[in-house]
Amino acid sequence: MSKSIRQRIAEEMTGAALPFVAFCIALNLTAGQITAALKIPLYLDSIGTILVAVLIGPWSAVICGSAANLLAAALGNPSMIFFIPVVAVIGAFTGFLARLGWFRKWYLVALGGLLQGILAAAASAPISAYLFSGVMMAGTDFLVLYFRSVGNTLLNSVLYQGLTSDPADKLVSYLIVFFLTRNLPQRLVSRLRGASNLRTPGRPS
Amino acid sequence: MSARQNLSPKLAFVVLLWVCAFTLPWTIQAFLCVLLIIGRFAIPALRPGSPRSARAFSRFILYSIAVATLVSILNAALIREGAIVANIFGISLHQGGLLFGARTASRLLLLSFSILLFFVSTPLPDFIQYLQEKGLPPYLALMLLLTLHFLDQLPIRIHQIFLAQQARGAPVDSGMLARTKALFSILSPLVLSSIVESIERGTALELRGFLHKPQPVKHGGSHMDWLTLLVLSLAIVILSYSIVQWLIG
Repeated sequence: MSKSIRQRIAEEMTGAALPFVAFCIALNLTAGQITAALKIPLYLDSIGTILVAVLIGPWSAVICGSAANLLAAALGNPSMIFFIPVVAVIGAFTGFLARLGWFRKWYLVALGGLLQGILAAAASAPISAYLFSGVMMAGTDFLVLYFRSVGNTLLNSVLYQGLTSDPADKLVSYLIVFFLTRNLPQRLVSRLRGASNLRTPGRPS
Repeated sequence: MSARQNLSPKLAFVVLLWVCAFTLPWTIQAFLCVLLIIGRFAIPALRPGSPRSARAFSRFILYSIAVATLVSILNAALIREGAIVANIFGISLHQGGLLFGARTASRLLLLSFSILLFFVSTPLPDFIQYLQEKGLPPYLALMLLLTLHFLDQLPIRIHQIFLAQQARGAPVDSGMLARTKALFSILSPLVLSSIVESIERGTALELRGFLHKPQPVKHGGSHMDWLTLLVLSLAIVILSYSIVQWLIG
């Protein structure tokens, strides 16, 4: 008999997973501080979700992203609450790729990051266009306005804006997670449920 | 110590405002935004929980009004539909673009104000406890509470690691590529220490039997108080009316 979503989430949220997911939610919300301190023009606001998807599993990643957006809304960015479906897609897709073993080779990670960026842009465009008419109170709004002013529809303008920023951001986020997980001590990673996502089958850890 | 609020009517009120944001004309939405700002001072249930959240809400109001004005003007300048309503420094503002900007801005403000007002007037631990009473599994409630702990700790840790790496000579102020490399020197110890801490906390939770024993899930029951019912009914009436209006053209 197939398991319910609640059972699957409960299965993933065991041992160290629960505090680690909590840390990654906080990392999603504070990653901006690191990039701001280093003056790097990236969001990296889903780096915690990607880490959870790789090191724990897809259901925990969906929870991680959703909770991060809920808390972001509570902490002063209210529109984030409407983008919970987008972060759910990011978590589920990354978890799926990790289970397929894509996080064992850098070029597969790069390809996955680009695909994720396109998927995230496609998933967020209808929400941004139909709920907010493309206005997100951010610098990227100017790009949407530019695409509109040259004759594109609102949905297309939002989609083009997403495609100009999301693939690069997700590509960098994926590569950062890849190199981070490679440099972590195996004895620690092996305590987490998703450790097998990083090992080639048959090879000793 | 203040008594915990019943959050159901407040959440129903947020839902009502969301319905208004997508169904009512922009002039009414703008009026509702003004009412919300007045309500933040006048209605006890909507008063910010702390001076910090009051300041955050005031800052957000100023910021969002500035953005809304900018959005309206930029749309009026760039979307050349309808008659020219004004000419500022040689830039023509068009009626179609201005109306689109005003509609967008009023909807965005109403959505943002409704969510933010809920959260600034509701302490997060109260909200998490409310969710648990409504059926959120205890381990997810614990996860959210742990997140609040990490949210307090992470900026301090990030700052400490940043200073330590800077002292070691990490290129935190060099070119873009060097700074991106320095990102790893900050993230690696941060993630590593979090995994160590997670394993310790996870072991403690397991030893206390938190993760294995069946957790009693408290359900708030299906009954609703009259205020929640009234507000939700109003939302349904407005939604139904606008759907009928849309269907008959």
